[in-house]
Amino acid sequence: MQRQNALSRQPGKYLSILQIQVLNRLAYPVDLALQSLTIVMFMWIFMQLWRTTYNASGQQAISGLTLNQTMWYLMIAEAIMLSMPRPSRTISTAVKDGSIAYFLNKPFDFMLYQLAALLGEYLIRILFNLLAGGIIVWLMVGPPPVLSALPLVLVSMVLGWLISFCLSALIGLSAFVVEEVSAFEWVYSKFLLLLGGVLIPLDFLPAWLQKISLALPFAYSIYGPARLFVTPSLERFAMLTLGQLAWLAGCGILLLVFYRRGLARLAINGG
Amino acid sequence: MTPVIEVQKLTKQFQSKRKASGLRGSLKALYRPEITNVEAVRGISFGLEAGELLGFIGPNGAGKSTTIKILTGILHPTSGEARVLGFVPWKERQQLAFQIGSVFGQRPQLWYHLPAIDTFNLFGKIYELDSEEVKKRVAFLAEAFEIQDLLETPVRKLSLGQRMRCEVAASLLHKPKLLLLDEPSIGLDVVAKQHIRDTIKHMNETEGVAVLLTSHDASDIEALCRNVIIINHGQIVFRDKVSNLKRHYLTTKLVEVRYSQPVDPYFQVAGTEMLKVSQYGVKLRFDARQTLVESVIACLAEAGSVVDITISDPTLEEVIREIFKAQEA
Repeated sequence: MQRQNALSRQPGKYLSILQIQVLNRLAYPVDLALQSLTIVMFMWIFMQLWRTTYNASGQQAISGLTLNQTMWYLMIAEAIMLSMPRPSRTISTAVKDGSIAYFLNKPFDFMLYQLAALLGEYLIRILFNLLAGGIIVWLMVGPPPVLSALPLVLVSMVLGWLISFCLSALIGLSAFVVEEVSAFEWVYSKFLLLLGGVLIPLDFLPAWLQKISLALPFAYSIYGPARLFVTPSLERFAMLTLGQLAWLAGCGILLLVFYRRGLARLAINGG
Repeated sequence: MTPVIEVQKLTKQFQSKRKASGLRGSLKALYRPEITNVEAVRGISFGLEAGELLGFIGPNGAGKSTTIKILTGILHPTSGEARVLGFVPWKERQQLAFQIGSVFGQRPQLWYHLPAIDTFNLFGKIYELDSEEVKKRVAFLAEAFEIQDLLETPVRKLSLGQRMRCEVAASLLHKPKLLLLDEPSIGLDVVAKQHIRDTIKHMNETEGVAVLLTSHDASDIEALCRNVIIINHGQIVFRDKVSNLKRHYLTTKLVEVRYSQPVDPYFQVAGTEMLKVSQYGVKLRFDARQTLVESVIACLAEAGSVVDITISDPTLEEVIREIFKAQEA
């Protein structure tokens, strides 16, 4: 009755996992809608803060960004951050309580399962966050500067999401070695907030910190796509994509190596 | 016929970090952790034939889970051999995964907010089944498990018993040759337990799926399995038919009698332990190896006009406790 694919890498099954996670998230639409009010609140606070800052500076643009661009930038950055996958939590829990064993006796790859399930969750959350955030920012500062580059921004958002997935999954896998990973999660989320450009566009940081931030993967997850949205250009897109692919390859290989090592450790020592 | 499970002298050792209490112990563990070897499974050998229902029981930490994790290919054994459906589990885990089904009572696999049918369809994809075949199989399982009316209800709205029936049905979607059931009746009431047992037995009889059942509820083993393995401290302490287990360790009888008229409150039956004597009833216990059942019955009948009499065996749980006690001694 069954066709046996030893590698269990048939994309169809992971697409189904993604689909079922989307359905699962949509089971409570009111809950989702209420959750997306967080971004509305954040954007209103940002608006008060940045309007005062721009007024006080007496300038139309700060570090090359107008108030309209800053607000749209922050909306995209916040939407990405609030929809961010947290494989660190699911993976570390599965490793610590041994439930990883229940995933491993099914014919799928555990890591690809996590990727598909969390991508399904992300798609729904980002959609609601972009809608809610977009409406409030549009009402406060008017339409975004450019909308035509949206498809390119979406590509960069997906690549950025994959980088975040790998980094967070690596933190989750560290549960094979250390017992508690919440400290790593905390540090990671603070890096995202500051060096990823969630709290403030990286353009506003001192030059030295900006340089450091732009060289790190956090900026490729959040700052890159958000900045591309407000000042799109093919050149910016190309540079961003190259950087994202490089980081994705690096983090992906690291994740694969750590995952294999973790499984071997589990097989030998029971996790 | 090839056995479903063949296990030969399987052992598994873990390394475990030990830490002394207090701040000093914690600091010491940081720079010089004390490592000890823990022997979770100690040279066990057993087999499971096609279509067999085998009970695999033991207290917490006995080595049950470790053995099952080795059999599903998640853990490598330290030494020994094992084959499951012809596969060496730790070398061919993915291929083996297509052939086995599993239900872990405390780890639901159905998606909680969605109707069970969605999980069935997902499993169809995961096990790479044809969608038409999935439809037919779901219809067959729905009838066998009497879940036709439940498939489209979100799982969160099902009772625990209904959910477990859906869980077991889902685990059989891909027609596995081996079903691993870990505590399938945990938390269920008597009626729901019976329902689950009936369906497991039915599927075992109709499809010949071999079942390895672990349970803390000895009545599950008693009701379902012909053979039982009891494991303790990583070793098999008993392996035989469930009926033999009861025969060897089932020497104590419990008798309850009800009379139509009041009986002498100081009335005694020789060779028994009088647990309770009331105006109209007696409850006593005796060892059938030392006291004849017929002499006890005769004594009880002499005491008055008997309305009702019940003779019961100790539960399997009590029997297992006795075996463990003997082992500990």
